[in-house]
Amino acid sequence: MGNTINTLHDFMLRTESLTYIMIVVALCGFIFFWRFLSERDDDRDHLGADRTGEHHH
Amino acid sequence: MPVRKIVIQKPALTPFNVVAGIIVVVGLIITVIRFTQGLRATTNLSDYNPWGIWIGFDLLVGVALAAGGYVTSAACYIFGLKRFHSAVRPAILTGFLGYALVVLALHYDVGRPWRLPYPFIVQQGTTSLLFEVAACVALYLTVLFIEFTPAALEWLGLKRARSIVVKLTLVLTIFGVVLSTLHQSSLGALFLIAPSKLHPLWYSPYLALYFFVSSIVAGLSMVIFEGSLAHKHFHDKMDAEHLREADGVALGFAKAASWVLAGYFIIKVIGIAQTNAWGYLGTGYGLWFLVEMLGFVLLPCYFYAIGAREKNLKIIRRTAVWTVLGIVVNRFNVGLIAFNYHLPSSERYFPHWMEIGISVFVITIGILAYKFIVTHMPILYAHPDYDAH
Repeated sequence: MGNTINTLHDFMLRTESLTYIMIVVALCGFIFFWRFLSERDDDRDHLGADRTGEHHH
Repeated sequence: MPVRKIVIQKPALTPFNVVAGIIVVVGLIITVIRFTQGLRATTNLSDYNPWGIWIGFDLLVGVALAAGGYVTSAACYIFGLKRFHSAVRPAILTGFLGYALVVLALHYDVGRPWRLPYPFIVQQGTTSLLFEVAACVALYLTVLFIEFTPAALEWLGLKRARSIVVKLTLVLTIFGVVLSTLHQSSLGALFLIAPSKLHPLWYSPYLALYFFVSSIVAGLSMVIFEGSLAHKHFHDKMDAEHLREADGVALGFAKAASWVLAGYFIIKVIGIAQTNAWGYLGTGYGLWFLVEMLGFVLLPCYFYAIGAREKNLKIIRRTAVWTVLGIVVNRFNVGLIAFNYHLPSSERYFPHWMEIGISVFVITIGILAYKFIVTHMPILYAHPDYDAH
């Protein structure tokens, strides 16, 4: 893929290709980010809500 | 067991009251000038810059920061996260006051404010985004007012009316989320009509999405920010439930805000890729854009994540203030700084001191109203005569 954009096709090819790559990278990155955010939440479920019956009396 | 109340008389002439009083007096004087001598006497607005800070700050920032109402009530009543229940009333109150003040500020900005109801009764103009914004803001202000009324009705002792309104909670919440989704995004979509006026780094076909997603962050951050202020200044008004849940609300909302900010950052970068605007990043505007993206999006995203992970409320509260500031910066950039970027500096807009005066006046009215309501009505505590809804 060259650097020059001459046609609409060139433009679409470049921007869409880059966008699709970024979306895939972002989605994979979100998995790690979610793990980073949640790995210390021992007493909560995956949605961040309290697990019932464990700490409430 | 009877509860004994000890009433402590506070002095009326506190520094807060004196400053607020001066601002209100000056604001009222400017109001008289605005409505007797018109926009020219009080603003620096022109044909090039018909929207100043009364739109860029009072409306765009006001609506975004009032998003805490729909975010919190949706989390509690729609997603079933009942541990955020104690945050709903303060958030609804902030949202209601925020929208009420947006409408108040709009009366100053619109040349002929008595024509504000025209979209509904004279000419609909349904193809205009402004019609959609007007309809949604009017309806959502009504929804917020009804959502707020249980607190006022409890204060007034109107049990029957309160029980009727409480039954509408879920319907009102759903209605509120729908209306907020529509008009938060439409405020961004308004700028789609001027692609050549808005700098390419801020202009994007996804502007509507940006405004909506950032409003969620604004709402979450405002609830944390307002919660910390209430904790500091109205601690004596908070009951055990509010005090117990306050930390959990901050931690949960910080986690959510971090997650949404990460998503917001990604879609902003994708927007740059879609319009192939990378070349502008090396310019002066590009530097300012990077300050916004790295300093006010990525940085708070990281600190919210650290705060939620480490359960560090100090970091979370400071990050909330920074994020609220970031929302102000973003709305200023889109509405004022990156707008008309091609004009020579002599034609660029800078607000008149009276415009700033009215904005400060409007904020002060909001703080005074909040203070009065929180002091008198069951906002930060559950009324002992009523069940929670």
